[in-house]
Amino acid sequence: MEAIRNTLDFSDFPKTDLGVALAVLVFLFCFPLFPHSAFAMATMIQFFIFSLYGMGWNTIGGYGGQVDLGKAQYVGIGAYTTMVCLLRWDIPFWVSMPVGACLSICWSFIIGYPLFKLKGHYFAIATIATSLVLKDLFEVWKFVGAARGLGILPYKYHPPDYWRLIFKEDIYYYYIIFAFFIVGLLYMNWFRKSRLGYQLRSIKDNEEVARSLGINVHWAKIKTYAIATAFVSIVGSFHAVYIKNIEPEDTMSLDISILIALMAMLGGAGSLWGPVIGAGVLIPLKSYLKEWLGASAGLLGIDLIIYGLIIMIISAFEPRGLWGIVEKYRRRRRK
Amino acid sequence: MALLEVHNLVKAFGGLNANDDVSFVIEKGELLGLIGPNGAGKTTCFNCIAGMFPPTSGRIVFDGEDVTGLPAHEMARRGLARTFQVYTAGGDLTVGENVLVGCFMHTRSRSSARSKADGILEQMGLKEFRNQLVSELPVAAQKRVTMATALGTDPKLLLLDEVAAGLNPSEIEATMAGIRRINAEHGVTVMLIEHVMELVMNISHRVIVLDYGRKIAEGCPKDIVRDPQVIKAYLGERYVREHATEFGGSAIP
Ligand SMILES: Nc1ncnc2c1ncn2[C@@H]1O[C@H](COP(=O)(O)OP(=O)(O)O)[C@@H](O)[C@H]1O
Ligand SMILES: [Mg+2]
Repeated sequence: MEAIRNTLDFSDFPKTDLGVALAVLVFLFCFPLFPHSAFAMATMIQFFIFSLYGMGWNTIGGYGGQVDLGKAQYVGIGAYTTMVCLLRWDIPFWVSMPVGACLSICWSFIIGYPLFKLKGHYFAIATIATSLVLKDLFEVWKFVGAARGLGILPYKYHPPDYWRLIFKEDIYYYYIIFAFFIVGLLYMNWFRKSRLGYQLRSIKDNEEVARSLGINVHWAKIKTYAIATAFVSIVGSFHAVYIKNIEPEDTMSLDISILIALMAMLGGAGSLWGPVIGAGVLIPLKSYLKEWLGASAGLLGIDLIIYGLIIMIISAFEPRGLWGIVEKYRRRRRK
Repeated sequence: MALLEVHNLVKAFGGLNANDDVSFVIEKGELLGLIGPNGAGKTTCFNCIAGMFPPTSGRIVFDGEDVTGLPAHEMARRGLARTFQVYTAGGDLTVGENVLVGCFMHTRSRSSARSKADGILEQMGLKEFRNQLVSELPVAAQKRVTMATALGTDPKLLLLDEVAAGLNPSEIEATMAGIRRINAEHGVTVMLIEHVMELVMNISHRVIVLDYGRKIAEGCPKDIVRDPQVIKAYLGERYVREHATEFGGSAIP
């Protein structure tokens, strides 16, 4: 009972926040009912997917302050588990998704133990390395299609297939990922004021002090890393059935890892709304730029220029991102 | 009955013995002062007891259990809390949230952690600051926050590292009263490192003196201030000088 109350407890937010959040939710709920282009629809689904990746990242990266640049490996494990299960054994999404999450969590414990012996930049670089190693492995692993990856042939199924999540129209995917989004947001609302949530913020502030308050710092980080991992893996599974074509270079690339971290940091690491704001700004920007500039966008490295600019802006002005600016302004006004 | 026994504690940093064969005992309910010149090894001694790092050699027994080499979070769970000499919470935690972290040690329940934190905030006179960041507070209040946070873990033994440094006389007075209350009313055994002699000599039941890592004296305050070795190593210049300027030469033993 207390858990439910805590999940739904938004009472520490000012009314304006809740008002805006509600308006956004209503808009998101109604969006597919209004006329829209297929492109806008796809962008919206990407927004949900990356919001959820960002929320997962935010547990360890935001509240815990451990800059993790290897989340793509868990997108990969989730996506590949679901894909392989479906193609080889016809196992539906709702079974393969939790299986993928379990595999991801196991992998996160295995690499988390040594990873969290490292600090700061060393940790960040090591997360990149583990992710790239896993990607390289998948690129030569025949069972999972090696570098060419795996694809779903939709005509083999009978959409709408709610078990395997095979649909013809994007609107189905939209509402499913929207539901995931709500659940993710509620979980994060529970998490941020949980014991682990506070312990992480204490660790981020000062590890020595955290230890002296009875916190097993290493274990707290590993646990949180597993939570982040589960988030990313579950959404990775969804990504696989939605995109229907996965290959290591796309699904597990360093780009994805960096985008996840950057988005959350841009929006506001360590805040509930941060990852959503970050995804809301960055995902449309990214896909519309690509649309306008066509194929040349990739060649010009527009993505990288944007990422670079964001990193500079965040580190120069406000390490806590866009939400940090709002909070700073509020704090000043209260005085 | 002894709450903490330290036997032949040695902590070496490279060639330097920051603690050199230090032994002492703290009785339950006691208020023990630890003094000595800068670099004498006082903080290092706290760090060894609190499990921040293992001692090079020696044995530490806490509440009847050999705890030598246990990590800090295990020591905290066994009832040892401490404050840090140089620490201002620079993070994004408010005063209330800082105290809450300590209160979460023995419970997962938010409501019981919160009500406990409320009690401690009230008791330490921090209620008005609860929603502020620690860095926005005056020094005296910041020091109270570190004590309040430590108290949240329900310690049997509380180690205080220079909680009165940088405070003015009236704040020192208040801190002194606060420490006494923690010790007497809440039954928490206290060991404190302090350079403010008025405080440490006034409230300590017993005082230990370290110099160059070694214990050079131990006894009740009024004997310590007359000990020629202590005067030579520490009190001599410093106590007399500080006394003359800061406290207007008010007579403490
Ligand atoms: N982590 C450490 N690494 C190396 N030397 C240290 C460390 N901590 C303390 N020291 C050294 O040990 C000696 C005692 O320091 P400390 O315990 O902080 O003294 P005090 O608290 O009595 O002023 C000093 O010479 C100090 O430089
Ligand atoms: Mg010291």
